[in-house]
Amino acid sequence: MKIKEVIKAKDLNEALLSLDKYRDKSKLIAGGTDIVIDLKHKKVLPEVLIDISDVEELSQIKIEESYVEIGAAVTFTKIEKSKKLDNRLKGLKEASRLVGSPQIRNLGTIGGNICNVSPAADTVPPLLALDSIAVVMSVEGKREVPLQELFLDKGKIDLKENELLHSIKFSKLQKNQALGFSKLGLRKALAISRIATSVCIEIDEDNRCKEIRIGSGALGKYGLREKSTEDFIRDKILDENFIEESARFLKSEIEKRLEGRSSKEFKSEAVMGTFKKAIREAIQLIKA
Amino acid sequence: MKKRGKGVGIIFYGTGYGNGFPDISKAEAELQDDGKVAIYVGATEVGQGAKTVMTQIAAEALGLKVEDIIFINEDTMVTPDSGTAAASRQSYNTGNAIKKAAEALKALIVDKAVDKMKLNTNIGLKVENGNVFVKTFPSRKISFKEIAEDYKENPLKVEEEFIAQTTEMDEETGQGAPYWPYTFSACGVEIEVDTETGIVEVIDGVLAQDVGKALNPKLVEGQMEGGFAMGMGYGIFENLNLKKGKMKNNSFTNYIIPTALDMPDIKNVIVEDPESTAPYGAKGIGEPVMIPVAPAILNAIHDAIGVRITETPVTPDKILKALK
Ligand SMILES: Cc1cc2nc3c(=O)[nH]c(=O)nc-3n(C[C@H](O)[C@H](O)[C@H](O)COP(=O)(O)OP(=O)(O)OC[C@H]3O[C@@H](n4cnc5c(N)ncnc54)[C@H](O)[C@@H]3O)c2cc1C
Repeated sequence: MKIKEVIKAKDLNEALLSLDKYRDKSKLIAGGTDIVIDLKHKKVLPEVLIDISDVEELSQIKIEESYVEIGAAVTFTKIEKSKKLDNRLKGLKEASRLVGSPQIRNLGTIGGNICNVSPAADTVPPLLALDSIAVVMSVEGKREVPLQELFLDKGKIDLKENELLHSIKFSKLQKNQALGFSKLGLRKALAISRIATSVCIEIDEDNRCKEIRIGSGALGKYGLREKSTEDFIRDKILDENFIEESARFLKSEIEKRLEGRSSKEFKSEAVMGTFKKAIREAIQLIKA
Repeated sequence: MKKRGKGVGIIFYGTGYGNGFPDISKAEAELQDDGKVAIYVGATEVGQGAKTVMTQIAAEALGLKVEDIIFINEDTMVTPDSGTAAASRQSYNTGNAIKKAAEALKALIVDKAVDKMKLNTNIGLKVENGNVFVKTFPSRKISFKEIAEDYKENPLKVEEEFIAQTTEMDEETGQGAPYWPYTFSACGVEIEVDTETGIVEVIDGVLAQDVGKALNPKLVEGQMEGGFAMGMGYGIFENLNLKKGKMKNNSFTNYIIPTALDMPDIKNVIVEDPESTAPYGAKGIGEPVMIPVAPAILNAIHDAIGVRITETPVTPDKILKALK
């Protein structure tokens, strides 16, 4: 099958109408940094490409009263450079800054990162740690689902044929909350994450952990929350000893998950490093 | 925790095919209508700067500017065999052949100049900037272009060859001197190991290379920087990941080479000690520049974490395993 048509959507309405019309015959293209490779390798064979990279409604970062909303077509560069996203969200900015190379960051979008459902999608762990809600849209209207629920399997997203990801929403971080991130790549640029860990914490004056959410990348079929480790840490005092203990707890969780895989030994060991970096960064951001 | 270490690697390397294998380069030099000189060699430019350095050698030998050398290579239809761009041999071997051809053409041009200027002898003639003249009587001169006019149909052309001196090793004892010439280099690095993730970062480096004579110091530095990057990739990144004879890492997505961000600012030290058999003293350095880098890095890792790693590339998983 050949691509017969490329629709450059001028606005959200045109994108939604086109998607509704062509459904499974079509594919959305935002930055194209994943799908162009899939097209080349004939992994996807759409007749129609719907280009949403210039749709204004999808390209905005909005700061509302209680939450932040990032449009699906917002690029990594835009997130990395955004002044609207304050330093407590450093984990998300870092994740964006560490994607690929400047060329990839200028084109690649957060929506594409999510919808491609790669285990190593770098912005997914911080978005999970932020307990993000995905705003999904079609001609019929909007629906909101927790981001985690969109992931069905590696490369499989829970969207209907006529739906697109509109944006990602998460609560604004308060003074005693912050988001850290650490990526383990095999070199300093153009490196697919071997492990990515993002930690969002809330602590009180005594360093007691009031709330914690941990997002993991490249440790499962898609980005995951580390809920049992979160439970282990919640309500405890976050001193260095306890951080070490938590890292060992996470290690044993990952060992269980990766049982039988050749990467088990390395990843379960190295995740302690990424976890400690991410949580220490979050604590530092709160103290700063 | 981050642990730092320093390490050194020192090597010597025999350039050329060696071990008695015939190592032959041919080159042709031809006087053009306009007085420029064309050089024909079958040497391949692979980014190392062969075209530049070989043009310089011809220009130097002929007393011409580099702009007056027309350098023709790689086209096997019109060029003689100059051997492979391998074994760090092109500057030395083909460089020598070019020098010989350029000198032979120059001698021929001088002979023709003697005839045309009706001189008694070629003694005391000088060749400079495309002119042949009597040293003590510079206005008595003739240009290459004027000489070329007589050979429009059948241009003045010479072919020369250079054969490196190499001898076979004794098969029984492994003794002998299989290469000529040898070059020497040394590398020092400082690295940092992240003991939590196993990542090795090369933070500083110095590379010293014996070059015989640097015909083009900038190009030598280019080779040194590139060699450092390749040696570093070999030491800590590059992995074909062979599984049952199949290359698993068969694209640059997973066959990791260093990026600009991974490269430290390195200090290059060019060591000059002209080689008597080499064109203007220059030895080949294409390969030697990369060889001491990985040993230096592995030694530095040992210095940093106290564990000796004996398999490259030293990827994070190997470091973490070694630390256990
Ligand atoms: C050299 C290179 C390096 C890379 N490095 C990294 C890296 O370090 N970290 C990392 O995480 N990724 C990396 N990537 C992968 C890629 O850049 C990211 O996944 C990027 O976020 C994809 O976004 P995009 O806009 O280019 O997506 P596209 O390729 O346009 O789309 C990807 C998929 O998502 C679908 N899609 C896009 N937008 C929507 C939407 N709004 N609603 C529904 N479906 C949608 C498309 O139909 C397609 O199936 C790299 C890629 C390359 C080529």
